[in-house]
Amino acid sequence: MLLQRLAITSAGLAVLLAALPGETARRPRYGGVLRVEIGAAVRSLDSAVAAANDEEDAAKWEIESLIYDTRAADGQFHGAGPFHVTAFEAGKQAVLAATEDYRLGRPFVDSIEIAMARARQERILDLELNKTDFAEIPAEDARRAAERGVRVSQSQPDELLALIFLGASESKRTRAVDLRTRQAVALSIDRGAIVNFILQKEGEPAGGLLPQWSSGTAFLFSTVADVVHAKELSAQIVPAPKIVLGYDSGDPLEQAVAERIAVDAREARVQLKAQAVRPGPENATDARLVRLRMQSKSPGPALESFIDTLGGITKIEGKAAPDPVSPEGIYNRERAIVNSYRVVPLVWLPRVYGLSARVRDWTPPGPGESWPLADVWLDGPVEAAVEEGKK
Amino acid sequence: MTFRTKLFLIFTLALVVSVGLVAAAVTEVTRRAFDQMNAQHSDALVAQFQREFAQRSEDVVHRVQGIADAEGTVRMAIDLSRPKGDVSTYVNDATGVARAHQLDFLDFISNDGSIISSAEWPARFGYKLEWVLQPEDWVARRSFLMKADTQEGPALALLSVSRVRVGDKDLYIVGGERMGREFLASLVLPAGMRALLYRNLDPTFQAANLIDSTGPATQADQFSAIVQKEQQEPGEQIAKINWTADAANAEMFHAMPLLGRQKELLGILLIGSSQHDVVTLERQIMLLSFGVVAIGLLVGALLGWWGAARVTRPVRQLSEGAREVAGGNWNARVNVRGRNEIGQLAKAFNQMTEQLVDQRERLLQAERVAAWREVARRLAHELKNPLFPLQTTVENLQRAKERGYGEFEEVFHESTGILLAEIENLKNIVVRFSEFSKMPHPELGSVQLNEVVRSVVKLFEAQFGAVGRPPITPELHLEEHLPLIQADATLLHRALENLILNAMDAMPSGGVLMLRTSPAADSGVHLEISDTGTGLTSEECERLFTPYYTTKQHGTGLGLAIVQSVVSDHGGRVWVESEAGVGTSFHIELPKHPPRRSVSFPISFDYEKEKEKEVEPEKHKQEA
Repeated sequence: MLLQRLAITSAGLAVLLAALPGETARRPRYGGVLRVEIGAAVRSLDSAVAAANDEEDAAKWEIESLIYDTRAADGQFHGAGPFHVTAFEAGKQAVLAATEDYRLGRPFVDSIEIAMARARQERILDLELNKTDFAEIPAEDARRAAERGVRVSQSQPDELLALIFLGASESKRTRAVDLRTRQAVALSIDRGAIVNFILQKEGEPAGGLLPQWSSGTAFLFSTVADVVHAKELSAQIVPAPKIVLGYDSGDPLEQAVAERIAVDAREARVQLKAQAVRPGPENATDARLVRLRMQSKSPGPALESFIDTLGGITKIEGKAAPDPVSPEGIYNRERAIVNSYRVVPLVWLPRVYGLSARVRDWTPPGPGESWPLADVWLDGPVEAAVEEGKK
Repeated sequence: MTFRTKLFLIFTLALVVSVGLVAAAVTEVTRRAFDQMNAQHSDALVAQFQREFAQRSEDVVHRVQGIADAEGTVRMAIDLSRPKGDVSTYVNDATGVARAHQLDFLDFISNDGSIISSAEWPARFGYKLEWVLQPEDWVARRSFLMKADTQEGPALALLSVSRVRVGDKDLYIVGGERMGREFLASLVLPAGMRALLYRNLDPTFQAANLIDSTGPATQADQFSAIVQKEQQEPGEQIAKINWTADAANAEMFHAMPLLGRQKELLGILLIGSSQHDVVTLERQIMLLSFGVVAIGLLVGALLGWWGAARVTRPVRQLSEGAREVAGGNWNARVNVRGRNEIGQLAKAFNQMTEQLVDQRERLLQAERVAAWREVARRLAHELKNPLFPLQTTVENLQRAKERGYGEFEEVFHESTGILLAEIENLKNIVVRFSEFSKMPHPELGSVQLNEVVRSVVKLFEAQFGAVGRPPITPELHLEEHLPLIQADATLLHRALENLILNAMDAMPSGGVLMLRTSPAADSGVHLEISDTGTGLTSEECERLFTPYYTTKQHGTGLGLAIVQSVVSDHGGRVWVESEAGVGTSFHIELPKHPPRRSVSFPISFDYEKEKEKEVEPEKHKQEA
């Protein structure tokens, strides 16, 4: 394993170089079956059937984006999309065929075979073995996958991993964590260590609620840990606080980050215990980790979306801002939220995709965009064999 | 308590004490044996623990050294020795390597002491483990116990440190095993023994830090005293814990301190041995002892009873014989055979009683002879006086006959008168003797002695002051609250008359007659009759109550004998105190209830009966 990681072969490097845009200025080719693997198990494509979790919801949204034309403001899909469903086995497989008379033109690939409920390691392995053409890879595995020769593509970091301190809840027998404790925890977190070690340098430390590429003001929010100050704050708190930090039991990244936060908080003499919880509001924790995906490239709508989401979880300052559209107004709202220490931005995560060598014209989707699989085309067998040989 | 009962109790007590001593001795020996066995087991277990510990230590050393020698580790060291070595690449390596080498603890530590990767606490990367940088020969140190931080909290770890040096930079590999229940489970324990481990991770005793091979120890608070003592003064010690009131549930614990690199107390190994077997055995011994005692008591009771009866039978017979002799049955004999002391005692007893009977017979014989002699003397004396006139008168009649009729007639009339008078005199003598022999048995009734005294004195009042006789002054000192006694008032009256007459005879020149009554012992009464007469000599006092003995010229010698007879028939006693020239005092003491009539030796002589037997046998036949 160590050797594999250390040995970035020349063949792998060639594959990476070949995947760069503009490297292959060939004419698109129609035909072929695009093999897709996803981790979620979509039980139904009926919009009336609610998804069991966020992962299924996201996967379902991606499939629906392929089989429907447009999406209305209310979130409902309308019209025939570039593909239509020809086979569906709940939780296991879906086969989408190209719609010949799609209004924007027929997709390049003839069909898409989506294999569901594939574990992350299986997806990476299948990419490595060329058994699939497209799969989403967790950001923390991107480096390892690339080292193993997988063609990796990643979006702008548009998913925020944040620590949210929850409000008091009598039903859950939890008390609101006071400001000094929240501040002590926030100051103790070493975001650099999370990015460098846990995310393997994929992603960015987050100090604000919007990424630098979107708002341009993210650099104004500190991402550096201040353990000394955190210790001073925790020393003022009597009795010593005990915080339970919940994380999604099915998310290894959240688990690793939560455990690291517990270690950092311990250094600041705050007793914080990371505890796996099932997604949902019924968990009796003082804080929890959440992933917030940007719904828009524009900072205003993106922040608004975040505030809407966070407002359902905790108390948000600056909800009703006097000037929610101007950069200054957006910054002030961000600042107000961050300074409350109820929302502690941790890291920005990119969306990472693994692609086979034959996938062409792939462009990572931006915030709020779905997989542009109707625009990709596949190399023919000859080209693919050449590419495979290069590999 | 009888001698037999005492003997039985002594037998029983001796048996119980003997069995108890044997039981106690066996119990003590057994306990010592068990203690010794437990100590041996504990020593063996400690030795086993030490061997296991040493073996595991070596194992840990070898495994950590193996990791250090692995190519991957060397490459990591080489990679990190470069100026831009990326430690983040290795952040997850420790977990896999630790799992592959079956280590609970594994940390890759960089040259500056920062954790590159940690198996026991993966999220701890980047933090420093500065003790690794301390100057220490880790190769020589081999392995050591240490309090290690983990995600779940502090833990007791058996660690070893290896170092990979590339250029001027070191890569430290710290690996080891958790000293926990798995380690305890690996110890092979004899039945009834168990091992516990207290992880001394906190300044004060914490129950959660005590574990056994299955997990957290139950009732861990019971160990606080042992642990605290060990914390204050580390060293091997022994303590007993009574889990319940039942001693069989107790456990003996041997505590052994586990010290760390700096000789700090990091853990305490507690080897417990159940007291169940020894207590059960002790109880069985006790039960058996009780059983033996019970059976012994039963058998001892039977044997003791039989033995005591066998031993005490001659003694009891001797006792009964002695009691019979004391009760007057001098013919009592003890039928005891054997040559032992009891047999000899019985033989001596029988000889003694035989001698007593023999002597009594001889005494009786002598007394009878003396009594007959006295009777004969008295009879001779009494009869001699009337006989001489009779003889003289008859001789006068004979001489008058020879002289002639005229003188004869005159002498005849005179002589017959004398003869009749003397014959009357003889007859009176016989009547007095007859009366003495006819002393009746007392007819008992409630009697107030004072009344008897007053009535008798009243009877004699005329004689006390009779004309021509010096006056006698009676003085009565009668106790008013004199108890009633069971007696024959007539006989007492008669006895009193005799005593007063006797006193009057003793005072021919007059004097004072004092009569005093008083209570006596056991609700009896006491009567004293004193005169101011001439008094008696000591010889006279001794013979005073002998029948027919008298110091008076015309006395019959029966008055005081009658007194003694009456008093004796009432179960009382009479004695005399006299001083010459001062006077004489007669004392009579009567019990409240006379004893039942018993067969007594006939010391009196029934003249009438003797006379009837010898003189008038025909009359006896007729009365029958």
